[in-house]
Amino acid sequence: MKKQMKNTQDISRKDALKKIGSYGKYAALTAIGTYALLNPKKAQASSLSSPGTGFLNRIK
Amino acid sequence: MKEITILYKVFEDKTISWFQNKNEYAVLENTTAVILKKLNKGIPINEIAKTLSDELDVPLEKSINFVLELEKKFFPQENSEKLEIANNYKNAERPKDFEFIKYYKINDIVFKISFLSDKELSLVHPKFAHLVIDEVTDFQNEFEVFINHNDIFLYVNNVFIGSWDNCNIHYFQGKFSMELIQKIHQKEENDWLGVFHASAISNGEKSMLFLGDSGNGKSTSLALLQANGFTCLADDFVPVDAKKQEVYSFPAAISIKKSSLETLLPIYPELETTAEYNFKRLNKIVRYLKPNNNDFLAHLPCHDLVFIKYEKDAKLTCKKISKIDAFQQLVPDSWLSPKKENAQIFLDWFEGLNCYQLTYSNNEEMIKTVTEIFNNDL
Repeated sequence: MKKQMKNTQDISRKDALKKIGSYGKYAALTAIGTYALLNPKKAQASSLSSPGTGFLNRIK
Repeated sequence: MKEITILYKVFEDKTISWFQNKNEYAVLENTTAVILKKLNKGIPINEIAKTLSDELDVPLEKSINFVLELEKKFFPQENSEKLEIANNYKNAERPKDFEFIKYYKINDIVFKISFLSDKELSLVHPKFAHLVIDEVTDFQNEFEVFINHNDIFLYVNNVFIGSWDNCNIHYFQGKFSMELIQKIHQKEENDWLGVFHASAISNGEKSMLFLGDSGNGKSTSLALLQANGFTCLADDFVPVDAKKQEVYSFPAAISIKKSSLETLLPIYPELETTAEYNFKRLNKIVRYLKPNNNDFLAHLPCHDLVFIKYEKDAKLTCKKISKIDAFQQLVPDSWLSPKKENAQIFLDWFEGLNCYQLTYSNNEEMIKTVTEIFNNDL
């Protein structure tokens, strides 16, 4: 498939802000609305490589 | 809206918040944390949105939507369902006869642990086999482990602790380990800040935690370090207390994967004849190495977290990493106390830690770097 090339001519920051208009302002909201939720384990756990997680085979 | 308990701590350019209702942490932009504070205080949404609108130069309507979204996300009206891991199914009859009774000596404390069959034995014993004693005159604690109707039960000193189904065996093992450390160190669950999925070593004065995904080389590094003058404090299950935020010793053996044997056999020839266990589903074969610790009551302060990675042919690199990155890696892999005071202590303790990423392939260079971190020479 032929790739469509767009005009990649540089524009100034001022012009860029004009072009995106109010979307640029909402980007500030998007930025402060980005967060990470972190949940610790609900109980103490061994790692899954501890002996006998229901599938233990002693081979030696 | 009813006020909920939230703790806030600014790290670098972000705010970490802790929500007591869910024992949940959130990494937020500072502005967002301020909005949550205002919402929690009951300040009207319009007022909060107006300030935000002026501050960011966005339309008021957009700010209102934003604040409403935050309220919906962080202050839900209904409590989400509580996840129960232990079944609390107490009615199973306790067996009168157990096929295996083992006595484990940890410092001067003797534990009598009864296993109904070899199945229960296999779930616990291999990591503690090095602590077994044959001749017993007295014991201080008695654990009973038995399977009944597809659930595994744990009793400690005749008290029902919990029951877990086949999918939650790792939580049974975690609870077993927790009960063990509580008896060894004479502490209750609320006395602990958390339990970390890490390896812990000490130089006799302080401790250091190694973290990282399974297979990154935590246990192998620990084994190498304990052969070079350091002491193994804990492998896989690292408890930290709330009162002094010290790393406590846990007496389990170090699990060594088959892929590490070539590196470790010259140092630990006993691994050649040690029992080998095959975790087929995880495609892992491990052997257990006795820790060199001779004082399982030891506990030491910790100032350094090291995310360690063994990478074939890698040139050693050791650099400080952002606390936010370290926090995001640490929390989901840890049990952290749901008690408010402990959550605050955890945030304060974490603020004071140095966090490093250490990648290596040469063992001597790794040992040298760890020594430098201990000596604050980096």
